[in-house]
Amino acid sequence: MSDLAIAAPLRAVQRLPGVAVVLVLLIALFGAIAPGFLSAANLSNVLVQSTILTMLALPMTLIIMTEGIDLSMGAVLTLTSLCVAIVSLATKSMLLGLGAAVLVGTAFGLANGLLVAIAKIPPFVATLATLGMAQGLSLIVSDGQSVVGIPHSVRDVYSAQLLGIPVPILMGVASYGLFHALLYHTRFGTYVFALGGNRDALRYAGLSPTRLLIAVYAIGGLMAGVAGLLMTARMNSGHPTAGLGMEFDAIAAVAVGGTSFERGNGWLLGTLLGVLAVGVLRNGLNLISLPSSVQVASVGVLVIAAMFLDGLRSRA
Amino acid sequence: MSDGAASAAASSAPLLELRGISKSFPGVKALDDVSFAIHPGEVHMLLGENGAGKSSLMKILCGAYTADAGEFYYKGENVTLSSTAEAQALGIAVIFQEFSLVPFLDIAQNIFLGREPKGRIPGTIDRRRILADAKRVLDGIGFDIDPKVVVDTLGVAQQQMVEIAKAISQNARILVMDEPTAALSDREVELLFALIARLKADGVAIVYISHRMAEVFAIGDRITVLRDGRRIDQVRPAEVTPDQLVRMMVGRNVDMTYPRRFAEQPGELVLQVKGLSAATGISDIDIEVRQGEIVGLCGLVGSGRTEVARAIFGADPVTTGEIIFDGKPITGEPDVAARRGIALIPESRKSEGLALLRSVGDNLVVAALKKLFPSRLYDPRGAQRTAEGLIRQLRIATPSARQMVGLLSGGNQQKVVIGKWLAAGARLFIFDEPTRGIDIGAKSEIFALIDRLVAEGAAALMISSEQIEICHVCDRAYVMRDGRIAGHLARSELTEENIVRLGMHHE
Repeated sequence: MSDLAIAAPLRAVQRLPGVAVVLVLLIALFGAIAPGFLSAANLSNVLVQSTILTMLALPMTLIIMTEGIDLSMGAVLTLTSLCVAIVSLATKSMLLGLGAAVLVGTAFGLANGLLVAIAKIPPFVATLATLGMAQGLSLIVSDGQSVVGIPHSVRDVYSAQLLGIPVPILMGVASYGLFHALLYHTRFGTYVFALGGNRDALRYAGLSPTRLLIAVYAIGGLMAGVAGLLMTARMNSGHPTAGLGMEFDAIAAVAVGGTSFERGNGWLLGTLLGVLAVGVLRNGLNLISLPSSVQVASVGVLVIAAMFLDGLRSRA
Repeated sequence: MSDGAASAAASSAPLLELRGISKSFPGVKALDDVSFAIHPGEVHMLLGENGAGKSSLMKILCGAYTADAGEFYYKGENVTLSSTAEAQALGIAVIFQEFSLVPFLDIAQNIFLGREPKGRIPGTIDRRRILADAKRVLDGIGFDIDPKVVVDTLGVAQQQMVEIAKAISQNARILVMDEPTAALSDREVELLFALIARLKADGVAIVYISHRMAEVFAIGDRITVLRDGRRIDQVRPAEVTPDQLVRMMVGRNVDMTYPRRFAEQPGELVLQVKGLSAATGISDIDIEVRQGEIVGLCGLVGSGRTEVARAIFGADPVTTGEIIFDGKPITGEPDVAARRGIALIPESRKSEGLALLRSVGDNLVVAALKKLFPSRLYDPRGAQRTAEGLIRQLRIATPSARQMVGLLSGGNQQKVVIGKWLAAGARLFIFDEPTRGIDIGAKSEIFALIDRLVAEGAAALMISSEQIEICHVCDRAYVMRDGRIAGHLARSELTEENIVRLGMHHE
């Protein structure tokens, strides 16, 4: 009987996806070695800091499910963040800043979608090209300088609380809820599975893979626009390298979360756990005073660790 | 009762009639004046060799191809059939061998893909209704499974059932099945046949493409035999014997003017395969090839011919058995086989056999670099001399050795692949469909080339779906069926009929 009692939880752990195991191990590790990691204030901080990545990793999951990728997301985030800073500085309006960012972000997303779906340029190359364009535009509009002196209404988005919960956390939760509903409860979400799984099935059903694919990339750009507001709010300025490397973290979170790069096998909750794993890792390393260079390298190790765990299970 | 219903229905007017359908592609007449009637409650078997026109006819039925000439009558009325939408409107559904299912959606979502019941909020799906509707369709075909199961976790037979459910849910009255039992176990075949009987009783018309003789007689109500894109005959199973059907399928008219000197006295044993099995689905393969011989390897597409070639070449791991080349066992990777003198000339020469963007010269010397330049230093002039020698020897039509290979004709590309292995000193050439995509004139040249190779002391193993080519070119042949050698035909027994008879299922 005692054997069973022990074996059952063990088996349950074995069935857990690699990302969940990794997340629990990371929390245990930093709880033990990083002073103050488990404090309520720090944990809330981890969640707040993970919001921007959540907003990028959710649409990235959809894009990767279509057997695509969006390398431009970090650079587009930089550009939309600058849009928020510049427009809100000029108009004193946070909402106009957000509007401009969403517009620019969606335009880049649409461009990615058109290049991939209509011009049939491989997603890796197409979004690498738009990455360059977004990065260059960022340097042009900012003249290579930080944009400072932006209105308080922008900064307040990051520090405000609603019912005692930081607004960024609420935005992250809302984003997850929306994407969950979109992927699992709408016709569009069903077709996203088919885009990666079997495009012919869509054609037989009289649906246009082209239009669906464009929409998926456009959503990615739109979310980079919304995330731009949070980025500017967080730094209280616009900076021409603000989003540098964010596409790396987003792709890593999706990979860690168990979404496959082929056959349309995506898992949104896994992506969320992947985002948290990346967030915990960076926060913990920060607390024990390791530089950001080590953090970037560690995220790479994290990806391999999660893949390895999933590989072990699928072989077992 | 169902028998009575079926024969009553069979005598009724056709549901869909095709009259004088023709379809051409550049260089081939895929269908030539084919007429074909589909009756409700009947299983119409479509029989023919590889390339007889079955797939083209199927694609026309589902609206993927548009016929060049001919008319369609639905319940006696003249209709057009030029798009998948029109085919669906007529109630025609095709179940392809590659399924049209999305792996990570559940059964219900797959059945109703693109036709999801709308939920209250715009864009959403009424989850409860889609599951209930799916359950009803699945019950209707007697498939007892939870519609929430993700398709990726299903076996091939179950996926096929989902595919059929999908077709039925679209009110399909004409179901076209392309070799539906190809990947099924005996028990699964029984289930499928039970379902077919059920659909027949409901008045569904079924067009059934098969390579298995037993099936033709087990479930067929009518048989149409195609050959070279023409309808040879339409018969009732009771009126014919399997042998008669085989005779109708073979006897293609192909202009084969190429004369071959057959090896009277084959030389030493070059290749000896003993009890070879591989995870790719071949088992217990015994093959011998001698110097000076061209040995055929035939059988239906999918019978394991290519897999045998790949296993011999070391491209797929061998599980049991032995491959002896030139008296010594050979194991390992393709580079070992290549170094020992085995050349594989793959079917898809464009993707596997050639670097299309490189020059003719580069392609000709690439496999022979070690032999030509033992010092490991590349000598461009030496390479060019070798390449030019081969171009002359093989009569490759190219302006120069510097021409890009991708710009040559199919026949000349094939010569470059052969030349590449000739330069490397290969002694056994394995050809996988060497004349695929090559025009008639160039075919004879390729055969002359293969003949010269073996006359000069090499040996050849030739895979081909063109029985007539095997009969004209080979000294003897092995016929495969379901991953095994079904029989061996000596030169005197080498006829198309014998090949087809061995390659088909009679059980």
